[in-house]
Formats: sequence, C-alpha cells, structure tokens
Amino acid sequence: MAKQIVNAAPEAINKGVVSVEQQLRVERFLNYEAALMDEHEYDRWMELWTGDDITYWVPCNSDDQDPNTGVAIIYDDRPRLLERMMRLKDKAAHAYRPRARLIRNVSGVVPLSVRGEELEVVSSFSLGEIRTGTENIWFGKCHYLLVDTSEGFRIRWKKVMLLNNDEAMPNLTFLV
Amino acid sequence: MSTTKSNIIGTDRDYGSLVKEDRVHSSIFTDESVFEDEMERIFHKTWLFALHESEVPKKGDFKLLKLGRFPVIAVRDENEEVQLMINRCRHRGAQVCEATQGNAKSFQCWYHGWTYNTKGDLVGVTGEEAYDKTFDAKEHGLTKVARVGNYRGFIFASHSKEGQSLDDYLGPAKKFIDILIDASPTSEIEVKPGVVSKTMYRGNWKQIGMDGYHPHYVHVSVFKIFSKRESTTGSAVGAIHLEDPFADSSPSLTRGFPNGHAALDFRFQRLPHAKDNTAELQQSEDGRKYVEDMIARYGKEHAEELIAWHGDPHLGVFPNLQLIHDHIRVVIPISSSETQVLMYPVFLKGVGQEINNKRLRSHEAFYGPASNGSPDDAEIFERVQRGLEGDANPWILLGRGINREKSDSDGTVSALISDEITQRAQMQEWKRLMTED
Ligand code: FES
Ligand SMILES: [Fe+2]
Repeated sequence: MAKQIVNAAPEAINKGVVSVEQQLRVERFLNYEAALMDEHEYDRWMELWTGDDITYWVPCNSDDQDPNTGVAIIYDDRPRLLERMMRLKDKAAHAYRPRARLIRNVSGVVPLSVRGEELEVVSSFSLGEIRTGTENIWFGKCHYLLVDTSEGFRIRWKKVMLLNNDEAMPNLTFLV
Repeated sequence: MSTTKSNIIGTDRDYGSLVKEDRVHSSIFTDESVFEDEMERIFHKTWLFALHESEVPKKGDFKLLKLGRFPVIAVRDENEEVQLMINRCRHRGAQVCEATQGNAKSFQCWYHGWTYNTKGDLVGVTGEEAYDKTFDAKEHGLTKVARVGNYRGFIFASHSKEGQSLDDYLGPAKKFIDILIDASPTSEIEVKPGVVSKTMYRGNWKQIGMDGYHPHYVHVSVFKIFSKRESTTGSAVGAIHLEDPFADSSPSLTRGFPNGHAALDFRFQRLPHAKDNTAELQQSEDGRKYVEDMIARYGKEHAEELIAWHGDPHLGVFPNLQLIHDHIRVVIPISSSETQVLMYPVFLKGVGQEINNKRLRSHEAFYGPASNGSPDDAEIFERVQRGLEGDANPWILLGRGINREKSDSDGTVSALISDEITQRAQMQEWKRLMTED
C-alpha cells in the first residue's frame, strides 16, 4: 500500500480524489469492517461484500505473487469464502476454538482513484492476537475495490499484504 | 568417520530404553538435550531432503537451506551441477550469502571481502600478499556437504561421509516418489523458486507424520464442508469421490518401509475410482488432453492407475520430507518445541494451465496457515506439546494395530489405515539412529 500511495502522488495526495466527507465515510467503513472482524461477526462481515464476482486475496511469498502461477495464503471467490465462513463458525474447527482475541488499528486510509461508483482505497493495519496464552502481532496493508451503494460501501475486491507473508507463520485462523 | 564423532554436546542417555515397540517416552518430545542429540545423531548423519532440482533451474541460481544446524547454499554451478555448500566463510565464518534465493556468479563475503565461485572455490582473497607462502587458496573453498544424491530430481544430502547409499536408504519408498512425478505426462515436475507456504507450530518435529487415525476427529469440519459441496471436484487431478478413504473398512493401508519411511497407501482404495476420475477430467479440454497424453506415455492401464492416485503418494521420508497430495513438504526442527513446515506446491510439466491451476487452488484449500486443513493439525500438535509437558504418566502409546501387521513381498509392512504402523516405523528408525555407534 505504501507503494500504491507513492505511485498515486501527487494527484491523489495533494487534492485528493474524494471530498473530506467522503474520506471520513471510507475511514468509518474500514473501521467498521475491522470491528466486525475483531468481534468474529462473520455474517455481518459477509454482508459487506457485493456481487458474485468477488475476490478475497492474501498473497504468499510477496505482495505481488501472481495467484495463477504461485501459491496464495487465501485466494477466495464467493463459494470458497462461504466455505471459510462455515469453518470460522464451526465449533469443530479446533484452530478456531477458543477464538483469538483481536484488536486492530486501521490507519493510512488513502482513496487512490474513483471510477463511477467504484473507489480504490488503500489502508494499513496492525493487529494484536491473543489465543491460548500466546500473543502474536500481525501487520498488513490492504487494497480495496469498494462500491458506493445506497446502503453504504460494499467490498468487491480485497487484497491483504501481510508483512510476514514470506516468513514461517503460525495459524492465521481469523479474518484479516 | 562420521561427523557424529565430534559430538561435544551429546548426552549418554540410553535412548534404547525410551523407545519400545509399542510406546515411546514423552521426554523425547520435550527435552531440549534430546533435541541437541537428534541434530547430531539424526540430522547430521542420515540422508536429508535438500531441494528439488527445478528450484535452481539455471546456472548461478541458488537457494539457501537449513540442513540440521548447517546453513547451506544450493547452487547450480557453471557445469550445471547442483552444489551443496556450507554457507560459512572459511576465513572467520560469516555467512557468505544472505539472499534466500537468486542468481549469482560468485559469493562475496562482506566481512573481509573473500570471494567464492559457484563451485565453492575460493577465487579472491583480499590482500593475499599478507598471507605467507604456505597459504593455499585451494584449501579454503566453501565446505561441501559430505554426500549429495539425486533421485529423479529430488536432491538429498548427508553430512556424513559414510553410510548407506541414497538408493538403499530410499529402498521401496522410491516407487511412491514415482507416483508424484509420474502424475506428469512427461514425467517431470516443477517446483517454482520461492513459491512455498511457510508455516510453524509450537510443537516437536516428530509430531508431524503419516497419521491415518486422526482425520475423522481433527478434520471433522472439513468433512462437513465436503458433504455440502455439490460437486466433489477439487482434487489435484481428477475427482475426490465421496467414499471415505480413512475408514478401516476401506482398502486403504498404512505402510512402513525400512529406514523409517512410511506411507498412507491409498492406491487400492482409489483404483476403483479411476473411471470416474478420467470421466471428470474429460469434461474439459485440458483434462481430455491430459488423459490422452498420460495414456500415450504410460499405457492405458498404468495411466489409469496414475490418474486414480492423482499424484498423491502420501509418503513420509524420514526424517524431513513428506510428499502429500500435491505438494512437497519439508520439516525443519527449530527446537524441541518449535517446528517449521515448508509446503512447496508441485506443478506438473506437460499439462495445460487449467490442470496446474486446479492443483494450486486445491492445495490452498487444505494446506497453509489460513486453510481448511493445516491449522487444525498445527493446533493439535500444540495441544500435544502442552500436554506432554506434564509427564505424570510419560509413555505415549503407538501400539494400534500391532497384532494385525502384514509383511509384504517388497519388504514393507502394512496394516489398516488407522493403525499406527507409520508411527512405529518412524520411531524405530529414530531409535536406530540415536543408539548407533
Ligand atoms: S569472514 Fe569472510 S572474509 Fe573474513
Ligand atoms: Fe491432518
């Protein structure tokens, strides 16, 4: 996301591609999404997605690993994401019980471009996780394609670039 | 002279008494001094999987590895040979390479500037005139790993100059490695440089093994998902059928090989589904071509077998390699209670993009830190480790099915899929190596 912001300067930075009010709406939306993820509110999180052609993508090895030629940590279309939801909610999914306690800070929210109702946005987060006596800290950058609908923003595409995506990582058994 | 003779941190523990035929003592999973001994007596002595040769395709391509305690550079030298060299400058010991992969003409140590070529020869000593006449650069090349062997592109290494040949070491396990490779109609697989999912769990490296007993319990949430799927498709190559391969009533077997290798042998269980798998493949153009090319290469009968097995040997090669489903898995022990697991998706050569794409998505669905499968395994290994710390009743039972083992003509033993033959094979090799002179 840092790269995207650097590349978007100066246009998207100096004047900005959206109004200040719109910027605040986007920030509130991303904080709401973060709260739903932190609270394990999966059904409500799922409602934030729009359309059949959605992508939830967490690359492995590098931020730009092509999912057609390389492995991904997560590369979900809608059916795969719905299966993920099933497991996140399933008491028999051991790695998800007890659930991790999570707090994330969302920052660095910058709208990069607007095309009609579609808004390209980047942000970053730091995420504290505590589960079974072990604390993990995760950092990541997010890249979104949001759609501005009458009900508020909806996610069409989301890419999460974890800082440690090329390191040996423990279980990632929550949403990022 | 094996390198174990320089054992300066080893203990005199009687490892023979800690491994019985049907049970093992839990201290071997939790005691850090046991771990030190394992490095010396197992990882610095026996054969270890190093890398697949396609990971360093061109001259100068290199990759860093950890083999036991040794940091190693694997590099394809100017004669196209893969060299395995200890990543340690012969001057004062700094690592001469820090990039985890790439291409290099030479490796220069940044401490005092000594330079080594891709064969490991010392080709540049800064201020060489300051050394006296007896100094011979030829004697100070990077140290080679003592022995390197190659089975069909799988490169193995041993830090010990002596010991059985790689061929003898792999023995009848070789034909299971073939299952993975021969899923390709050109008998060639590709492991892409740097494409690997890297995971860790807080538990002992010996936990991760071929276990046909656990899926019904550990992976119950995945079975629920499968049962909700409209199509059974999603396997590597061909269909996943709904029949349960982990039922004792199925023809699936556990198998133990000499030297600690072990397999969940699904061959007999999958074979009856060959027709379904082929039919499933034939619904797409890439799939049709795949079936044709497989038959052209292997003949109808063997091609059908290979398609039914869909490149999944489910093999554990002691101590650090597993070939499961559509990936190569490398187990890296970090300490008695921390283990890294690297999972390299295997791409088939000579097939359409769609086949590999399907393998990749199906790999991601079950393996990796946020997938449906691996996290529950890692979670259980961590629970095991926490439990083992309390060794009020220290013996761990591995006797399941011990009275129904059968010896097969190829020198392996087999039993039902939920039997602990695989664990017993691994632990007997552990004992052999830990007690060997
Ligand atoms: S340690 Fe490498 S040149 Fe001195
Ligand atoms: Fe498992």
